[in-house]
Amino acid sequence: MADDRPEKILAALGGADNVIEIEGCITRLRCELEDGSVVDEAALKSAGAHGVMKMGSVVQVVVGPEADTIAGDIQDLL
Amino acid sequence: MSLLVLSPVAGRVTPMSQVPDPVFAGSMVGPGVAVMPSGGRQDALSPVDGTVVTLHPHAFVVATEGGQGVLVHLGIDTVKQKGEGFTLHVVKGESVRAGQPLISWDPDAVTAAGYSPVVPVVALDADAEALSGLPDGGDIGAGEQLFTWD
Repeated sequence: MADDRPEKILAALGGADNVIEIEGCITRLRCELEDGSVVDEAALKSAGAHGVMKMGSVVQVVVGPEADTIAGDIQDLL
Repeated sequence: MSLLVLSPVAGRVTPMSQVPDPVFAGSMVGPGVAVMPSGGRQDALSPVDGTVVTLHPHAFVVATEGGQGVLVHLGIDTVKQKGEGFTLHVVKGESVRAGQPLISWDPDAVTAAGYSPVVPVVALDADAEALSGLPDGGDIGAGEQLFTWD
């Protein structure tokens, strides 16, 4: 099954150049970004995120139990 | 098939809405209840019979044969501790029994590091109506029945 969520999520986070660090934690992606202001929350939600929490340059994207897999896929794209 | 979900830790039952994390408080990944652990270094127990499908030093998911996944998270934001103070007794993919010790950890050390040691126990992707017997307070022992998941 082709999963395009990693690409869509990465794009909504402002692309690979904007991501300093990303890690999966069971249900969510913790993303440390260069610039938190460019995050497209609507695009994240359309990519399957249950929720988005922003704290400055740190964004948490809730994606459910596959977060670890998605985080790994995104790391492969960086 | 009703699934009995056991408390992974001993402590005081805490409503999920009081967990200081929007994902758990908002039941974004599923309903459940949290336990504020008591005491120092201890083992966190598996809540159900099943397979360890996700394993981090500070959290795990055990999925039953029927596909019901129970998430246990040892403290809030404890991912930042990078596993320090957490000792794993199992590996990912291992079959475990309800009540089996999976991770030893120290809630007091989590508190000392500035994090909440509260332990959310989440029925992943369940409907809230599927859970029954949820306590809304009081004390619970490790391995005691926490709630039922139909």
